[in-house]
Amino acid sequence: MLVIVAKLVARRLLAAVPILLVVSALLFCVLRLLPVDPAAMSLPTTATIAEIEAKRREMGLDRPLPEQYLIWLSDALHGNFGRSIQFGREAGSLVAATLPATIQLAGAAMVLAAIFGLGGGLLLFHLRGTWFEAVTDIVSILLLSIPEFLWGLILLFVFGVALHALPFTGAVSPNLPQPHVTGFLLIDALLVGRLDVFASAFRHLILPALALGLAFSPAIMRVLRSSLFDVYHEDYIQQARLRGLSERQILLGHALKNAALPTLTLAGVQFGILFSGTLLVEVIYSYPGMGNLMVDAVRNADLPLIEAIGLTYCVAVLLINTVVDSLYVVLNPKLRVR
Amino acid sequence: MLALEARDLTVSARIGAATVPAIRALSFQLAPGKILGLVGESGAGKTMVGRAIAQLLPPGFAITAGALLFEGEDLLTMAPARRRALLGRAIAFIPQAPMTALNPVLTIGAQFDEHLARLGLKSRNARRERAIAMLTAAHLPRAEDLLTQYPHQLSGGMCQRALIALAFAGNPRLVVADEPTTALDVTMHPPILHLIAEMQRQHGTAVIFITHDLRLAAQLCDDVIVMYAGRAVESGPARTVFATPAHPYTRCLQLANPAMSAERRTLYVLPDQMPSLVQLQHIAGCHFAPRCPLVTAECHREEPPQVAVTAVHTVTCIRAADTFGISTAGRSFGPPALLEQPLLRVENLSKHFAISRGLFGAARTVAAVNDVSFTIAENEFVALVGESGSGKSTIARLLVGLEQPSSGRIVFDGADLTTPSLRNRTRRAASLQMVFQDPQSALNPRRPIASIVTQAMEAGSRHASAEDRLKRTKELLAEMGMPADIAARLPGQLSGGQRQRINIARALCRVPKVLIADEIVSGLDVSIQAQLLSLLARLRAELGFAMLFISHDLSVVRHLCSRVLVMYRGEIVEQGPVEEVFGNPQHPHTQALLSSVPPDEPGATWPLLRAN
Repeated sequence: MLVIVAKLVARRLLAAVPILLVVSALLFCVLRLLPVDPAAMSLPTTATIAEIEAKRREMGLDRPLPEQYLIWLSDALHGNFGRSIQFGREAGSLVAATLPATIQLAGAAMVLAAIFGLGGGLLLFHLRGTWFEAVTDIVSILLLSIPEFLWGLILLFVFGVALHALPFTGAVSPNLPQPHVTGFLLIDALLVGRLDVFASAFRHLILPALALGLAFSPAIMRVLRSSLFDVYHEDYIQQARLRGLSERQILLGHALKNAALPTLTLAGVQFGILFSGTLLVEVIYSYPGMGNLMVDAVRNADLPLIEAIGLTYCVAVLLINTVVDSLYVVLNPKLRVR
Repeated sequence: MLALEARDLTVSARIGAATVPAIRALSFQLAPGKILGLVGESGAGKTMVGRAIAQLLPPGFAITAGALLFEGEDLLTMAPARRRALLGRAIAFIPQAPMTALNPVLTIGAQFDEHLARLGLKSRNARRERAIAMLTAAHLPRAEDLLTQYPHQLSGGMCQRALIALAFAGNPRLVVADEPTTALDVTMHPPILHLIAEMQRQHGTAVIFITHDLRLAAQLCDDVIVMYAGRAVESGPARTVFATPAHPYTRCLQLANPAMSAERRTLYVLPDQMPSLVQLQHIAGCHFAPRCPLVTAECHREEPPQVAVTAVHTVTCIRAADTFGISTAGRSFGPPALLEQPLLRVENLSKHFAISRGLFGAARTVAAVNDVSFTIAENEFVALVGESGSGKSTIARLLVGLEQPSSGRIVFDGADLTTPSLRNRTRRAASLQMVFQDPQSALNPRRPIASIVTQAMEAGSRHASAEDRLKRTKELLAEMGMPADIAARLPGQLSGGQRQRINIARALCRVPKVLIADEIVSGLDVSIQAQLLSLLARLRAELGFAMLFISHDLSVVRHLCSRVLVMYRGEIVEQGPVEEVFGNPQHPHTQALLSSVPPDEPGATWPLLRAN
């Protein structure tokens, strides 16, 4: 099985190359077509036309677009995404500094989405055929239609502003130090032994993670329920009953593993969307992740930074899909063909 | 003590506000170590009996009266926990579709382990050894390896062996086998039945064997109950019942089934079909009366009583004395086909499919059809037989142009149809038409019947007018022996037999020269099959067309076709006139296929079932 997973990963990584090339070219072209002049932006407002022209030549902006792209590409392959216009720092290092926070948020949100999704799906399935089913149907559709930023605002007002129960700005209390070892704040706090920092970071993570998790769990919930419905019509469930297995054994031992397959497919797609969903939630909670950086970059037309972040999102989604497909192979024996 | 006894068992279904009995007042006694056959067509209520034993009835159905005693204890009044404790231990089930009855994401070993743990085997090693022993007893080679395999890595026959091993693992006192061979290839039938009989003898188990196959029931069962529309119409020792049937339904079913040995005769065509539960509400008196050839006015008056033919043989019919008089005439075959002038000539036809081995592996091909040559003459019905996967359907698809051959020629009327050209395409469409196996999926569910059967009139540049199409629809429906008001209905509103007629009618819209029929009667009940086979014979006489009849059912082939092609692994291994090939088969595969059919005579022995 390991061999098959390894083969799949290798195939996926190979396929990722052309995808990344296309995405980067697309990003590059679209950004160059914007009516902004990076040369003018990087100079003081008092600069003369001649100075701007000189800067343009220096930055290579006078060359044809394909050539510009190739230069950018070869730099990017060497890990150099250019200098951020607004911060004056390497775009790559800016992304690297904020990426762990976003991964931490997305990971926590995914765990919550999985818990709510599985729990909710099982609950919905358990309530099938009762009068309560109609109620849960309506509630789940209602939940399905609330996007993550609305959850963000609702939770912020209820638990942050009204109840003062949880913090809702930043990643940790401003009066606490931010240790930096791996970049993942929760891990770093434990590594340096600052439980107070860990507790604060954890409390800061709750609301944004909850907002994302709540937004993405209803879809998982509904797919799990309908997959379970389908599985319960299969012969092997009937046959398991005829062997005298209890309903509990049938659900946990036979149905859930089969119903997990379509659910996992959806969860994989969802996680890709969830990762981009961090953007708005980070803005709402002033969470110092890649999403906030992206908003900053867009607002200031910081082209190198936008390109770097855009590519990072793309790589993240490709990686997530590869992981999900590998999991799929692990769960579904029919895919384990050599 | 009896293994199972039913006393006036009644299962009812709720239809709207009414309650309609799906099984009415069924009584039988099954002694330990005996096999009781429940025989009849679909809708007779056979499967419902098995489900009643486990109390797993479909939604809307409930047991409304009677008793079902398992070793003297009533299963119906028993506490659910007590009943569940019996399932899998004392009462086991062998399913109809083995491939789907095993959980696809669990290994065979895991499924055995779970079951054996429930049976009380504490240690993992003991369970493993018991599983290997049971699989070996079911004649599965390399049982240790099998434990680590998943159901999709096994053939249908192997899955069924594993399920039989699973069923007998707990030394059950009662086993319910519901059509255990129907989903398998013909050559798998004898070994699977043999295994069930062997296990049953070894464990001294009582078996309820549900089947639609009268000849099979005669061979396997000690006693049989023939069921019709929820009622036991005839019961007694299997061989007695089928040698001297007393109920007209039993007799008609026998005569509707084409024979394998005796002289060819016309099939008895029972009109219409078994009444549905909705229709049953409106039938007074005997349920079979509307289709019965011996019906009298009295039959409609009240339900017939159960009468004893002999001490052990009972029948529910007031005209039982005349049953044996029902018969069919011998039949002559139409004029001999002009074999010297073949209409369709297939020469060295091959089809290879590439199986991709992923990005890094080299591409491999498999030959689905390998160097196949045959001819079909005008008006000739030629059969193509073989097991699933032998390449029969690929040939059909190649003939009608759904697949392109890798090499070889298909010559029709002197022209090679494999040369791609518009002319060949129209020629092919006009002269070769295909009837697909499953009318359920072959007919567009959103199109009314009139539009479906005249679909061919939409082809080409000239669209036929609505009046023309309606006129043709009426002609075709009349030809098929169906009422004209069906034209406006949708396929979903028709019965299975009616849908298959529409499926055939569509192919006959512009009477083709050759009809290619892919398993068009398999899966249909015997009486519906007889209707369709007679229809095809009549249509040939009236319209004149040749047919390539793809089938796995040799008795049907013997009845309908004059020549037969036997396929095995993509090649035609034997061909010739049906009498010659069936009378003196040369190829081992033809011999295997022929010996898989139970004998016609209820008294004859079937060597494959008795052999060890």
